[in-house]
Amino acid sequence: MTDKLLTIEDLHVDITGRRGRTIHALDGVDLDLAPGEALGIVGESGCGKTMTALSVLRLLPNGGKVTGGRILFDGTDLATTPETALRDIRGNTIGMVFQDPLTSLNPTLTIGAQVAEPLLLHTELTKTEAWAKAEETLRLVGMPRPTERMRNYPHQLSGGMRQRVAIAMALVCEPRLLIADEPTTALDVTTQHQILELIDELRERLGMAMILVTHDLGVIARRVDRVAVMYGGRIAERAPVRPLFATPRHRYTQALFAALPERTTDGARTLLTIPGLPPSLATRPVGCRFAPRCGFATEICRTAEPEPTCDSGTGHAVACFHPGGPEAGAAASVDVIDVAVGGTETTETTATTEAAEVRPRPEQPAPAAPPERTEETLLRLVGVTKSYPLHGGPFVRRRTAASQVSAVAGISLTVRRGETFGIVGESGCGKSTLGRMVVGLEAPTSGTIRFADRDITTLTKRELRAHRREVQLMFQDSYAAMDPRMRVGAILREPLAIQRIGDSAEQRRRIAGLLDDVGLPRGSVNRYPHEFSGGQRQRLGLARALALAPSLVVADEPVSALDVSVQAQILNLMRDLQREKGLSYLFISHDLAVVRHLADSVGVMYLGKLVETGPAERVFARPLHPYTRGLLDTVNAPDPDATPAGTPLAGETPSAAAPPSGCRFRTRCPSATELCATTEPPPAEPETPGHRVACHFPLSGGAVGGR
Amino acid sequence: MIRFLTKRIAQAATVLLLVSVIVFVLLHMLPGGPARAILGVQATPEAIAHFNHQQGYDRSLPQQYVMYLGRLLSGDLGESYKLNQTVASLLGERLPKTALLAGLALTLAALLAVPLGILQAVRRGKAADYLLTGAAFLAYATPVFFLGLVLILVFSQQLQLLPAEAPQADTLGGILTDLPALVLPVVTAALGIIAAFSRYTRSAVLDNLSEEYVRTARAKGQSNARIMARHVLRNALIPLATLLGLHLPTLFSGTLVVESMFNYPGMGLLFWNAAQGSDFPVLLGVTLVAGVATVLGSLLTDIAYAVLDPRIRSVT
Amino acid sequence: MTATDAPVSETAPATPGPARRTLAVFTRNKLALTGALVLLGLLTFCFLGPLIHPTDQIHTDLSQAGLAPGGNHPLGTTDLGYDLLGRLMYGGRTSLEVGLAAGLLATLLGTVYGAVAGYLGGWADAAMMRITDAALAIPALFLLVVVAAIVTPSKPVLILIIASVAWLSPARLIRGEALALRSRDYLHAMRLMGGGGSRAVFRHILPNAIGTVIVNATFQIADAILYVAYLSFLGLSIPPPAADWGSMLSAGITYTQVGHWWLIFPPGIAIVLVVAAFNFIGDGLRDAFDVRLEKS
Repeated sequence: MTDKLLTIEDLHVDITGRRGRTIHALDGVDLDLAPGEALGIVGESGCGKTMTALSVLRLLPNGGKVTGGRILFDGTDLATTPETALRDIRGNTIGMVFQDPLTSLNPTLTIGAQVAEPLLLHTELTKTEAWAKAEETLRLVGMPRPTERMRNYPHQLSGGMRQRVAIAMALVCEPRLLIADEPTTALDVTTQHQILELIDELRERLGMAMILVTHDLGVIARRVDRVAVMYGGRIAERAPVRPLFATPRHRYTQALFAALPERTTDGARTLLTIPGLPPSLATRPVGCRFAPRCGFATEICRTAEPEPTCDSGTGHAVACFHPGGPEAGAAASVDVIDVAVGGTETTETTATTEAAEVRPRPEQPAPAAPPERTEETLLRLVGVTKSYPLHGGPFVRRRTAASQVSAVAGISLTVRRGETFGIVGESGCGKSTLGRMVVGLEAPTSGTIRFADRDITTLTKRELRAHRREVQLMFQDSYAAMDPRMRVGAILREPLAIQRIGDSAEQRRRIAGLLDDVGLPRGSVNRYPHEFSGGQRQRLGLARALALAPSLVVADEPVSALDVSVQAQILNLMRDLQREKGLSYLFISHDLAVVRHLADSVGVMYLGKLVETGPAERVFARPLHPYTRGLLDTVNAPDPDATPAGTPLAGETPSAAAPPSGCRFRTRCPSATELCATTEPPPAEPETPGHRVACHFPLSGGAVGGR
Repeated sequence: MIRFLTKRIAQAATVLLLVSVIVFVLLHMLPGGPARAILGVQATPEAIAHFNHQQGYDRSLPQQYVMYLGRLLSGDLGESYKLNQTVASLLGERLPKTALLAGLALTLAALLAVPLGILQAVRRGKAADYLLTGAAFLAYATPVFFLGLVLILVFSQQLQLLPAEAPQADTLGGILTDLPALVLPVVTAALGIIAAFSRYTRSAVLDNLSEEYVRTARAKGQSNARIMARHVLRNALIPLATLLGLHLPTLFSGTLVVESMFNYPGMGLLFWNAAQGSDFPVLLGVTLVAGVATVLGSLLTDIAYAVLDPRIRSVT
Repeated sequence: MTATDAPVSETAPATPGPARRTLAVFTRNKLALTGALVLLGLLTFCFLGPLIHPTDQIHTDLSQAGLAPGGNHPLGTTDLGYDLLGRLMYGGRTSLEVGLAAGLLATLLGTVYGAVAGYLGGWADAAMMRITDAALAIPALFLLVVVAAIVTPSKPVLILIIASVAWLSPARLIRGEALALRSRDYLHAMRLMGGGGSRAVFRHILPNAIGTVIVNATFQIADAILYVAYLSFLGLSIPPPAADWGSMLSAGITYTQVGHWWLIFPPGIAIVLVVAAFNFIGDGLRDAFDVRLEKS
């Protein structure tokens, strides 16, 4: 025990809400960490991973309390040590980085004051010395022009730069342990990668131990030594990173891996899902917390709580009565689960409350019916642009060149009937604006949008109303897109009522059919949207989008707010319904893995431009544009042995209010020349027909590294 | 900030113009029109017709408005027909005194309300919080004049501690030398604002305490007291500047009542006396000035806010 | 996350609607319930009290002037010989009637104006809001006094005067609410189904704004009752022998010198009670509407 830096023993944390309802957020957590070691804690939302991280420094939210167990750090029990003693440790020997770099910085204090603050608290340095050290730390975390930045305020920095500031604050006293709670979740992929690299490098240089908390298996794969998987407030499995990724043994871990779209690159294959939802922690569940959702659960799982059994040789500990054997690889265990999940009747009988949560769809469609993809063009965009005035308001003159944001700058693409067209790009690239124009929420500034060979920008009011039936939108946050004062029945009836489809009996019949389609019980019509979970709300959102039997559904980040297992359910549902109803999707997402899994064709957007389009398998396998290549190289593959990325993207996306001249990507492009600054590259198809790229110097093929 | 300021000043100018329109409309609502109001009740119809022609009141309304605006801009607010003095000179005497009373009340309110609000936030859900919340509700519901009467009954009549009449000196300096006599008027005018500001401070501090930057500060090892002083208050109190501007109309309404109760020789008393005597030029002149003062006051507080908040200050 | 422990089943009864849940939360709020009871008590006192304690509030009786509380006059008499308890009921009717009517009228006017501005947006909104800015810049009491000095108030006139000044703040509030609701995703969703303006306003914006309107109405009534009192106190209300709590206080001031405290405290406390009651009710309603659908 003495060689451990941090030991958490049997930690219990309760959180009492406003109305006195108590959640047993942590229920007996054991963890340990050696000096210099990196531990990853993974799990889905509500599993207790963040609470574990917060309880180390006793930074639990209001109403949160450590009710049992010990947190030994360097011989001190942090769970019971007085507040004053704990203050000497916070920010000094243990530093902490939080998820949202905007809200976790004080908006009215300068960067310098905030980074120097821990030094003034914990060291004897004078203010001048502390500021000098703070500036040095800013330089260390890769902040450009640190001297100038010291006097800036947080809102003047980009998200990635703010997170660098947060890291500088945590590291300025050179702590022995860094706790990072979802440090990259709020950031774009390329920025995410830069921050993770930075943390890695600093950890090495300063010899710190680290706890990295994340929901993203890809993030921890190459960043930590050991991994703890949490479920329902307990540790389900704990192992060194390689064995865990190679042979996960807990049935939950296995299912989690199986639900990753990255592991099922073949879009035709159904993603493996975990039925139901994580347990409510308001009451202590009896038995194994995963048992209600587990295909292997037996009587003992429902009555007794499994204790972790540790293989002392490998350090692989599993709290499961029926663990997958160490000899069984991930693939093998996946097949077993496949059977378990596919057998819907079993889940219905085993899971008690959750069976009602998400019903198996009554008639499963003939599996793997070939998607009815045709060559018929459904949607064609030609030179579509959208500009917004930068500063609104009646007192500001408009339409001067500098006062405009060019959100979408000349996009042409074609979506065929029955296909899924994926749009990928980082935040601010204009992908959502594009979606809003396609559904008709916004009018393009110029260019044409033709749907089924009709220009939708010139439709009369009556025609537009009829056209609405054809194109529907699935929102990222379906909850916000439903009137909170309406019951689900009224919400689903609204499109039918507006379009005057059927009498009330017919409408009721249709609504029941829609609920069947998305796997929700028909009794849902009497409920309000707030009574549903995130995944169920997305099902409702999809049901409403399908009410008018559209031929195109624009889905704007439909799964980005969901946990992996629920995400897989929604993706499967979308794909099944597509086959059943011959739908086309315009699928907008920042998540390459999700798009790769679902899309037939893909378009990559950067700063309002479509830099590359083509068949999904070609674009992902042989990207032609350096940006696409960079994105693919930056993705954190959930594989510890993935070769480090070739050329991850450096720098940050410039502002759309002042885009670079010529090629908009040139400021971050490794092979940019004079030509790129002066001339905008025209789209070309240098390799195969249908695979277009807008680049003066397209990559000459070659598979993406690391796969 | 330049953009914010130009926009805000343009807005204030528009509002000022509209205030003058409102007063102009009121002028025309007077019984018998402006002529009757200016010449008095005894004026003959001939005199009124003559006056109307002479002053241009027989022209179209827009023309009249332009003339009216011209007179306003040259500082001509008409003449009191009770006090034999121009409204402008009356206001010149009275306005500074009202400004003094309002300023003292505002200062007292801010000095008391902020600590009270912080106390409530820190002791949230405890006895002190409930007690002060109850007091604030009571203060909201108490009309200024009832409060003034109770204070007079208790401190002036029963305890004989403080005079029931405000200082009567002609100069500001003279008023300030008679501090005991200022206590009751200032306290009466301040109480409602104390209630409002302390409620605001309480909720702003509570909101900020649940912000994530507070958790960050705790993670650095800051003590609760210093988190409050260094992080929370800065963020919670900057918006108080705009709240100050929003409360100016209430404050002026309060001084109207307080001045007439305590016989304080300010703009409010002038106004009240004019209302009793139907001295319309004075009534409208004071109304206009009160409106202008509010607009300019809230413009100033908004500028102060922009200067204090780096998020606005640093945006060009 | 919020609904994991509320599984949807085929047979469970329908969830109660927002109105019923709002009522449930309201009745759980002790302060709000107290406010409602106090209000009920005051209404009973003013409108049914004269049945138990009939008095003459029209004719003066100088032989009974200035009596201290006791005997036939539980709260004493005024300088003109009116029984004070009876006058409290009589004056309270004016205060309550005018306050309620003016508060509701102001809310109605303000709601329509604010909803129109918020729904139109753009230039129309900017112009409409500058007008309210200007009117709000002139302190309300000054405006009220000027108007009251121009016309001699009767009950209906007083209601109109107060409403003509008080509609401004609900107008601003509802405008903000309408602007916010207009950009909600569920209105976008509705537009995508082909729904038009009237459905947006009547099916979505109004039902969702109604809470704000109701809460504001209670605060408006409280304010209007205060305005009546202020105007009367400044001598600009309905002329005698009519009375309201404000004018009763005003009439009592002269006699504070001789210690006739009973002329001051009963009407003053009555005003405080009724205004506080409305504020408590408003506060309770705000909480009730707030929690309505967020978390169960």
